Amino acid sequence: MSNESQDVAIAIPTKQFFVSMLTRDISLADAILDLVDNCLDGALRSAHGGQVDYSSYFVKITLNAEFFSIEDNCGGIPREVAKNYAFKMGREPDDNRDSENETIGMYGVGMKRAIFKMGRGAKVSTLYQDDAFEVSITSDWLDNKDWEPIPIRDADASSRLQESGTAILVDTLYPGVAKHFTNDAFKNELKTAIAEHFTMFLQRGLSISVNGQVIEPIHVEVLVSEEVNGPAPYVFEKTIDGVLVSITVGLNTGRGLASDDDEAPDFERDRSAITAGWTVFCNDRAVIVGDKSRLTGWGDSIPLYHYQFSIITGIVEFRSKLAEKLPVTTTKRALDTSSDIWLQALVKMKEGMRVWIDYTNTWKNHPRSEQTQHWEKAKSLPLRDAIELVSKREKAQKIVGIIEFNPKKQHVIPIPPTQKPSSRRIVFSRPIEQIKMVSKSLFDTYDEQPGVVGDKCFEIVLLEASKLEETGNE
Amino acid sequence: MSNGASLPYKLRPNKAVDRELFLALLGRLAATLKIESYRYVSLGGAFLEDFRLIHARLGICDMVCVEAEKDVHTRQIFNRPVDSILCVYSTLENYLDSNDFDKPVIIWFDYTAPGEISEQIERFARTISEVPINSILRITLNANPQSLGTPKSDEIGARVGRLDGDTGQKQTIQEWRLDRFRERLGVLVPSDLKADGMTFKNFGKSVLHVLYLAVEKEVLSLPDREVVWALSTHYADGQPMVTATLLIKDDNQEQLQTLIKEWSFNSTPTTPRKIDMPALSTIERLTMESCSNPRERMGYDLPKSEIGEDPFEMFRQYYRVYPHFARIDL
Repeated sequence: MSNESQDVAIAIPTKQFFVSMLTRDISLADAILDLVDNCLDGALRSAHGGQVDYSSYFVKITLNAEFFSIEDNCGGIPREVAKNYAFKMGREPDDNRDSENETIGMYGVGMKRAIFKMGRGAKVSTLYQDDAFEVSITSDWLDNKDWEPIPIRDADASSRLQESGTAILVDTLYPGVAKHFTNDAFKNELKTAIAEHFTMFLQRGLSISVNGQVIEPIHVEVLVSEEVNGPAPYVFEKTIDGVLVSITVGLNTGRGLASDDDEAPDFERDRSAITAGWTVFCNDRAVIVGDKSRLTGWGDSIPLYHYQFSIITGIVEFRSKLAEKLPVTTTKRALDTSSDIWLQALVKMKEGMRVWIDYTNTWKNHPRSEQTQHWEKAKSLPLRDAIELVSKREKAQKIVGIIEFNPKKQHVIPIPPTQKPSSRRIVFSRPIEQIKMVSKSLFDTYDEQPGVVGDKCFEIVLLEASKLEETGNE
Repeated sequence: MSNGASLPYKLRPNKAVDRELFLALLGRLAATLKIESYRYVSLGGAFLEDFRLIHARLGICDMVCVEAEKDVHTRQIFNRPVDSILCVYSTLENYLDSNDFDKPVIIWFDYTAPGEISEQIERFARTISEVPINSILRITLNANPQSLGTPKSDEIGARVGRLDGDTGQKQTIQEWRLDRFRERLGVLVPSDLKADGMTFKNFGKSVLHVLYLAVEKEVLSLPDREVVWALSTHYADGQPMVTATLLIKDDNQEQLQTLIKEWSFNSTPTTPRKIDMPALSTIERLTMESCSNPRERMGYDLPKSEIGEDPFEMFRQYYRVYPHFARIDL
């Protein structure tokens, strides 16, 4: 008996997998951000490796109960790309469009996944140079089990786009999606996410609007003093395995915190500044903004994040023309934490964090104005400008390909005048009425910070005790 | 509890108008919803004035007055205008967490402390899913931008028009407040909120917008219920306050929606009604009520308050519900 068989096992993916499984891995807002990412990649390709003038590009998003649309003037899709790559579910190995560009797309699922997340049909219209055409994905195509090619139709005069670019219209929205698109809280979250994730592009002049409202960037910045010995953030920059890793950690404000805020209720999530914590950029996209979790090192050989640290901002950027080397997941809104490059960066990120965690500890219970005065001549700068300014300092270490500046080692961190190596903390609680009474008698106001009131009390008793000591010695 | 909370209504004419509007809303809904069988839960202050009116105007007997201060609670028991009011010594949050409601309720979150605004808004939004359909929720929030704190004078730069010069990291007072506001309210802050929203005049609207977004976010995950915003107000009797009232309904109660939308005082957190009543002598009031051109008849303007509304227009809108307090010598 022969054991040779003519049977074959079918090993092709099903449409069901792409339409209902793949879409589960991404949130609705992230799917929309993915489409914006595609627009930006278009702008980058249009520049053919040169400098991109983002101020000449726009992305217009419209969402309501009936439809979703996104329209851009970022160059459009070449017909050959549409025929061979753009509508494939997944990226082909021979698709080398971006070998010279710092894009972030690498899996070839973004557009399709976003469309299927929202509805059962879409029309993609594009104008690339003089070539205008349309591709319609219909629910009939979705229901058909076969992977039939989708027809490309030349656009007629009425539907032809005015500028080189792409317009995607999804008009058969799922009921749950339509509900989100009419909900103002969702729209607000989407606008905030765009303001955060595309901040670098918005700052360079790109215009993104949602239902007609132009989005303004959220600035993620650290304080740097222009004086040579003034306070400066921690800075580190190195190329690791073809990826330029740039890190800075510093303060987002010089105002200092009231010490009694330590006792705030468990609402740190809500109370802290959006940009406090870690912001991670990959090729200019903010992958994560203001992270305060274990992911970015908090609570991992470093204290857990709490309100005391809300003045600390860290920014890390990964930049490479090899998108697959960047530590991002397919949704582009999460980190691949097992990536070697990420792990190496994390070591330096923690080094920088420790500097500023020590700083906030050192300044506990010291008057806010004393702390503020050290920062009066400091400017708020984004990552690149901060690194540039700090690297000009003589004390910045510059070995081939590496820039490093640790402000604590370079002794440019402000220290309270009374801080001594033998200093110990004293912590105690008293009813607020009593604190207010003492505050009024010492400072002529009921509202001095409890820590400052306590500190002053100790100072007075210490003075008395010193006198007694002296008298006793006589 | 703030000092304002213990002030009598006669010293807070705008709050009195706001309360009359709330009672008018309940009156409008009473027949359709059978409001007399509801439970009314609120913080009554020492005098339980709201409870007296709720009982008198709507016939609600099942009333619960929650109070966290022992002295005030003891006083409330003494001052109860009707003995069907149950006085509970607890925080409102704790009372809500430890009770199930088997019939619709009216809950008034009459908050005055500004410090916990984030918790107050979240608690209000969360309650939408915790009470029966047809319940009515109302919240009062402190809308004084000074509650965000006061920066040291050397932290603040001044700006005139668009002339901002090089102020380094120094901000204007409104920018400083906006940062604190974002710290307190995080993701609920509207993405397009500007420093201008932190002025005395506009802060109330900003707080209401945050409340609106918090409720929208909550409703997104509740397939069985919708909210209808019925009344939102912004007023200041010294301390600026905002209020918002909503009805929780299920999908198929269009007549309730229409009843509220067609009410002449219908307002939402994104379009709050300002209440800014002028202080008037008796003769001024009678003149303004009895003629159509009081400004001309009186021959002078009335002073504007910090909220900046026209006093004649305000009076025209609310004279029907503007209480008149007179002195009685006992």
